[in-house]
Order: sequence, then structure tokens, then C-alpha cells
Amino acid sequence: MAGRLDSGTAFPWRRIAGIHKAQEAKPTPPSSRAMASSPSSTTAHERDPSCKVMDPAAASPARWRTRREQEMYSSKLLHALRLVRAGRSSLPARGREVRDAADRALAVAARGRSRWSRAILASRARACCFRALRARLGAPPAAPAALRSPAAPLARKAKVLGRLVPGCRKLASFPALLAEASDYIAALEMQVRAMAAIAQALQSPAAS
Amino acid sequence: MSSRRSRSRQSGSSRITDEQISDLVSKLQDLLPEARLRSNDRMPSSRVLQETCNYIRSLHREVDDLSERLSELLATSDMSSAQAAIIRSLLM
Repeated sequence: MAGRLDSGTAFPWRRIAGIHKAQEAKPTPPSSRAMASSPSSTTAHERDPSCKVMDPAAASPARWRTRREQEMYSSKLLHALRLVRAGRSSLPARGREVRDAADRALAVAARGRSRWSRAILASRARACCFRALRARLGAPPAAPAALRSPAAPLARKAKVLGRLVPGCRKLASFPALLAEASDYIAALEMQVRAMAAIAQALQSPAAS
Repeated sequence: MSSRRSRSRQSGSSRITDEQISDLVSKLQDLLPEARLRSNDRMPSSRVLQETCNYIRSLHREVDDLSERLSELLATSDMSSAQAAIIRSLLM
């Protein structure tokens, strides 16, 4: 999906994101940016049909830098914040609630095409029951990682990375993990930009 | 388990190759803010993974800080005028 071609004045997000106009103007991301090439994704499908591989064309990290994505996310976030505030009319909204609302809005913006977004929405839906159940069962059994794991020192760091990205703890495939991580990073950057812009606007409503 | 791993390193056709790993890692490196400053240097893969983890953690911290800030601002500000201001800033 393409961001709107803005031939007018340069808007601040471009400067903040530091991307070039040419990159944003391309309707589909160039093949060099796509994380999962088709041979490896079909291999992943054959070997592990339960593991959904990200659709490379749709889930390119570059789409998180378009103005359109940020606008859509900002409006979703505003709506969620309004609900948060309305739900706690007497008490002030806690930072944790705002964080959860922001994460959920981000996961919705991903449109279920990435593992981390599905994990955020799933964990929210099942709430504390799921977490308590998982705590009782202990760590999930390790998936057979020999098929696609890199050398040992990299594997350790890859495991740490898998714990940081939602829903990727048990992800055995290294290419899929890196693809999820890059998409997640791009989405987080957009989340930071959008929240900072909203905080800025809330702080000085008269100035803008 | 270890025999399976040594076998996987020898047969390169269906297992992941080192080239694939370095290719993926270089793409990941492009996303890191530090790497954008020195775009020509190739960092070792372990360093890239480490920096990626650090970057994700710092992004999480930023989101937490912004959430705190937003929660305070929400309590004090009038939503309707603030929303008008936000929509104006979005459209500009």
C-alpha cells in the first residue's frame, strides 16, 4: 500500500523519520527491502505449517514511515485515549493503561499480518488468565531449532531478541524472527513519533 | 541434538546458510539508528543483534515515558479543544 504522494510542503514526519522522498513515493517496497524471499518462505511453510510467515509485500517495514499510517494510528490512538479517560472519570488514567491502549492500537494497525501484532491482541483478549496459566505450566517446550538456527553465540542473542518481540519466544526460524523484529522496530518508531506529536499538541493547544 | 546440529551445518541446501544470515543481519543493521550514521561499515552479526535488542528496549522505555506523560496530560487537559489542536497538527 502506498503512502499519499505529497507534492506540497514537506511535513515534519519526513524530517523526523529521515527518509527520502523517493523511498516514500514508491508504491511497493523494492525487493531488496523485503525480508522474506519466496524460496525461504515456502520452505518455512512446508516445514512448519503452523508457523505463519509474514507476507513480505504487505508487511514491509517501510510502510510504517508513511504519513498515512501515522495519521491512521494517531486517530485510533486518540479514540482509545478518549475511552481510557472516559472509563476512569474520577481517577486519572495510569500510564500502564495508556501504554496498553497504544500497543493495542498499534497491533490493530498492523492488520494481523505480523506475529507480534497477533500476540499483542491475543494476550489482551485472554488477559490475566492466560498469563497465570502460562506461569503455572512453566516455560513452553523448546521447538526443534536445529533446522534454521545460526551458530551458537548468535543463537543466544537471537533468543534474547525473541523474548523482546511479542509472540516470538518460541519462534524457531531465524529469518522469520528477524523479519518480525524489523517490522516491530519500524512500528515502534511510528508509535513513538505519533505519541510524541499528540503529547506535544496536548501540552500547548494554543500554540499549534 | 548436537549431532543433528553438526549435520545441519554440513548440508547447506535446505538449512539456513551463513550468507542468508549475514544478508538478513545487514538488512536489520539498516534499521538501527547507529548504523545510519556509518552506513558503509559492516558490524559483526552478534553486535547487530545486541544493538537491536538494546534499541527495542530503549523504544519500549520511550513508549512508557510517553504513556506516563500522556496520562498526566489527559487528566489535566480539556479533551475537545486538545483534539481540535491535534487534528489540526495532523492535517498540516
